[in-house]
Parts: sequence; structure tokens; C-alpha cells
Amino acid sequence: MTGAARSSERGAAHARVSLAGMLVWGLIALGVLVMAVPLAMTAYISLFRDAVVIFPPSGYATSWYARILEFPRFGEALGTSLRISALATLGSLAVGIPASLALVRYNFVGRGVLNVLLLSPLTVPGVVIGLSIYVLVVETEIATEVPLIGSDLVLVVAHLLITVPWVIRLCVANLVGLDRSVEEAAANLGARPLTVLWRVTLPMMRQGIVAATLFAFIVSFENIEMTLFLIAPGQTTLPISVLQYLEYRVDPLVAAVVMTQTLVIAGLLLLLDRYVKLSRIVS
Amino acid sequence: MSQPYLRIQGLTKRFGASAAVRDVDLDVKQGEMLVLLGPSGCGKTTTLRMVAGFVEASEGRILLEGGDLTGLPPYRREMGMVFQSYALFPHMTVAGNVTFGLRMRKLPRPEIEARLAETLEMVKLTAMAERYPRQLSGGQQQRVALARALAIRPKVLLLDEPLSNLDANLRQQVAREIRGLQRAAGLTALMVTHDQDEAMMMADRLVLMNEGAVQQVGTQEELYERPANPFVARFIGHSNLVAGELAEGARLALPGGGAVRLAGHYAAGGPCTLAIRPERARLCGPEDPAARVTAVVEDATYVGAHVEVLLALPDGTRVILHDPTDGGAARRMAAGERAGIAWDASSERLFDASGAPLAARAAVPA
Repeated sequence: MTGAARSSERGAAHARVSLAGMLVWGLIALGVLVMAVPLAMTAYISLFRDAVVIFPPSGYATSWYARILEFPRFGEALGTSLRISALATLGSLAVGIPASLALVRYNFVGRGVLNVLLLSPLTVPGVVIGLSIYVLVVETEIATEVPLIGSDLVLVVAHLLITVPWVIRLCVANLVGLDRSVEEAAANLGARPLTVLWRVTLPMMRQGIVAATLFAFIVSFENIEMTLFLIAPGQTTLPISVLQYLEYRVDPLVAAVVMTQTLVIAGLLLLLDRYVKLSRIVS
Repeated sequence: MSQPYLRIQGLTKRFGASAAVRDVDLDVKQGEMLVLLGPSGCGKTTTLRMVAGFVEASEGRILLEGGDLTGLPPYRREMGMVFQSYALFPHMTVAGNVTFGLRMRKLPRPEIEARLAETLEMVKLTAMAERYPRQLSGGQQQRVALARALAIRPKVLLLDEPLSNLDANLRQQVAREIRGLQRAAGLTALMVTHDQDEAMMMADRLVLMNEGAVQQVGTQEELYERPANPFVARFIGHSNLVAGELAEGARLALPGGGAVRLAGHYAAGGPCTLAIRPERARLCGPEDPAARVTAVVEDATYVGAHVEVLLALPDGTRVILHDPTDGGAARRMAAGERAGIAWDASSERLFDASGAPLAARAAVPA
């Protein structure tokens, strides 16, 4: 009697486990679907023949991809985006890596304040940052009569605000996990402090630095809300030119532009992957 | 005796108000392996790190071959260190790790190649030169760490708990290997460990530390046979400590009642501590005239070479004795039984209230 009761209990437990398992797999499938659908839909729409996006389409064509060339604006915007993102990424690494080293390795007055200050841009809405920088730049332009709005300098400096926190977060997490005695071993073997940094600390931080580079680049590349305030005619980033195009026309051309942009970025990532195994860093 | 090669004078390290290391004086002879031993937090590692230059001394000096090293940064000290975690460079191969110090010294390439081959041969890792540390076993990583420190032909080899991350069965073998290499190269070495067996196995001389201060310096035999204070007696070989009041020269009155008939005769009086090693006393009948004190057996555990017997003295102090086994013929003690404990004058150590050992004047016949 008790045996039977126990076995039915076990059966119930088993059923619960498999139910939980099914729930987990269901959630995973849902997650993958949610992430993949926008890209799949964009790719799908970019192949519609009609100039107005209707469903179902009257036919399929790749002609929208060819028509991108009729709008050199997109090409220029992609160029601007890549240039600004690359500069912002390099700049944020130049600021973020030394800052991470200082935050993790040294105990100095104001360390806590600096930590909060360096991470705080993440907590301020991009629109607020963009507007504030715009006002500051305009006031500076009036005072100095140097044209600044739309310049690479202003865009890159503004993007540093949103990329540096990511670099610091990732590099600090990486540094905290490193065994300090490895650096001591290098010093013990005769390496001066700068040599230790160059030959041991930075190579050991490689995973963190690569991850930081990726995040900084992506955060900068896709930013709209802050960048919106700082662009000028002829100096537009790709996400904004897409937004502007959508203001008066909705046709599969934007979808083709977005797909092209995605392929360019994916190509860059694949290129990077040849030198560092990204899959190892992201997981 | 030759003049000391490495000399540590009055070395002190304060962290805030507390001192991690207090006024340590040590002389290390050339080619000698000196082992710093002590419980965790005794200051042995801080001392080693001050010698390596990773920790700045608050006071005192470190002299090598007569030259003062105290203010020098680690990279100018010419000391090879083996770290507890091995601290190998994960992004370099075995060869890269071992040659790092040589490349820092900007030695010519042929010389680097020759030393690499020679060092890898020494630690039997020639076949592993192109592997990365993560592809090696713990024992192999340990040997790379040793090779890396030896390759620079250091003036002093520093070893920080080098065996603590190894499997128990590998430990003895690696200890012997390290000792063999150190002897063969005639290297002066300073090692830190908390493990008494390791220290006994590796050392030419031992330094026992506690609470930041040196308790005793000497050979294994000196520390075991002539402990400088009750702490040394207990840490090295687990002596039983019995506190009491010395009276009439040879009678130790226990505070809770009862007394111990001492084997030696002492000039001093007052509060004293008696130290008796578990294997240097024997059990006898409670009425046996040889019994120096009677006790009640609380527990007896057969552990192979001996029976570990836990006894309570008349005042409740617990002592452990090792009763030799002899093929199972001997009668086993049982809990609750009364027994006498006997020992010879040569096994008896008595310390006064300050912890200093007392010398017996003449043996009192049992």
C-alpha cells in the first residue's frame, strides 16, 4: 500500500520535472523566436517587389538592394557611422582600460566617486544627454565662433560618454578575476612595472578588452536618441538617416539598407573572430 | 661557519596599529634551505614577501651578500620565487614562461635557448615546451613554476607553500625533487609552509614563527628535542602541556588537585608548564612505583603503529599517549580504567612562567 503510494508520488514528481523541462524549453524557443523574428521579417520585406509594403506581396525582387546606390546618403551615413563608432571605440578603450586598472588596483581618495561618475551616463536617458551636450556646444559655438555641431569631435566625445561605462564594466569584471601573483611573478623575474603591464596584464585582459571593444562599437553604432541632437546636414549616422527616410516613405528600401548594414557589421565581426574567438568571450 | 649570505635584521611590518611581523632576525647560509614554519597568520608569508620586495618593510633591513636590498623594487632583487598558485603566464607556452626572466635580462638568443633546454631537462619537461599551462597537470605546472624561477639562476630561491596545491601522494615526491634540485645547484632557499611534515622533510634549518615573532630557529632535532618554549613543544610533535605549581624541586602540583612526580630536580619554583611527548611516555599500572602520575583512560584508538590513548589527569587536564602495538599481544586499555604514566628524565621538558625552559639539576631516582 505504502509502496504503491510512494511509486505514484515518484510518478507525480517525474511528471512535474518533465513539465518544468518542457516549460524551460518552451521559454528558450520563445526567446530565440523573439530575437530572430525582427531580422527575419526585415530580410523578408527587403525582397518585396511592391513600393508600398502590403501583405501578401504581389511578387519578390532583389531590385531594392540595387536601388540603395541611388541614395548615396545611406552610403555616406554608413561611412560616418563606422568612422564615429571606430573612433569612439578606440577612445573609450584609451580611457576605460587605464581607469579600470586604477579602480581595481589602487585604493585612492575619491575612488568610489570616480567609479560612480564613470558609470553614471548609463543611468541618464540618452535624450537628456544629447540635449545637454547640444546646448553646451551651441553656447560654445556662440562664444568662440568655432563651428562644432556636426563635427566628428563632438560626436565622438559624446559617444565616449555612453561607451566608456561599458568598457569599464567589462574590464573591471575581467581584472577582478585575475590572479595578482602572476604580475608579481613577472616583477620577480625582472620585469619593470610598464613591462609587466604590457607583457602580462594587458595580454591577460584580452578577453575583457575584446568584449569591451565589441560592446563599445555596437552601443555607439546603434545610438539614435543622443546622436539626434548632434548631427548636421551631410553628417548623419546610418540609424538616423534610416529614421529620416522613414519619415516620408515606407518602402522595402529601408529594409534593404538595414540588411546591408547588418551584413557589413556581421562581416566585421567574422573578421574579428579570425583573430579572437568571440564565441569564447561572449559565453 | 661562513658569514651569512642572506641576513634579515629587525624586520618589522605594521598594518595600522597591529604588527604582522615583529623584529625578525634571520641569517641564511649560502646553499642552505631555511624553512619558515608556523600557523596561518603567524607572519611567515609577509616575511617572505618582504624579502621578495612585494611588501615594504616598516622597519629593519634585508642584506644579501652584504648589500642592502631593503629599498629595492622586486625586479632588481635577483630572487626567483615559486608561488603557491604557481602564477604561470597563461598566455605563454612553457618555453615562454621559462624564458621570460632571461628575456627581461636581454640575454643573447643562443644563451636563452641553451638555458631553456638545460632547465627543462632539469625538471623533465622537455617534451612539454610548446604546451600552454592550462594543458598541463598540477604537478607539471608546479615544475614549470620551479623551472621559471631556476632559469634566471637566482641568488635566492623563494618558495611560498610550493606543495599545498598538490595531491597528497605527489607531495613527498615533489618535495624530494625540489630539495634535490636546490642541493644540486647549491641554491640558497627560503621556503614558507604551515605543514610541519613538509618543513621537517625539506629544511636544513627551521624557523618557527607565531604571532609575527620568531619562536625558535634550529635544526629539526633541535626544535624537537630542545623546544625553546611551550608553543614550540606543542607545534612540533604535539607535546602534551600540563600546567602546575613547581614545589620542592621535583613535585608539580596540579591546580585542580593531585600532583606529578617529576623525573628531574629543578632549582626554580612557582607556576610551570610540563611538556611530555605522546611517544616518549609509557603506560603502567596505577600502583607501579615508576608511575609519575595516575590518570583515567577516556578513550583508546588503534591507529596501526600505536594505540592513541586519551587520559584525564587528576585535575582534568587531558593528555594523549602513544602506546606501542606489538602484533596484538598486548592488553588493550579500556575507557574508565585507571593507569599510571611513566617517563624518563631525558623526555621531560619543563618551562617556567615566562616560557623559558628549565634545566634539571640531577635526576631523582624513580
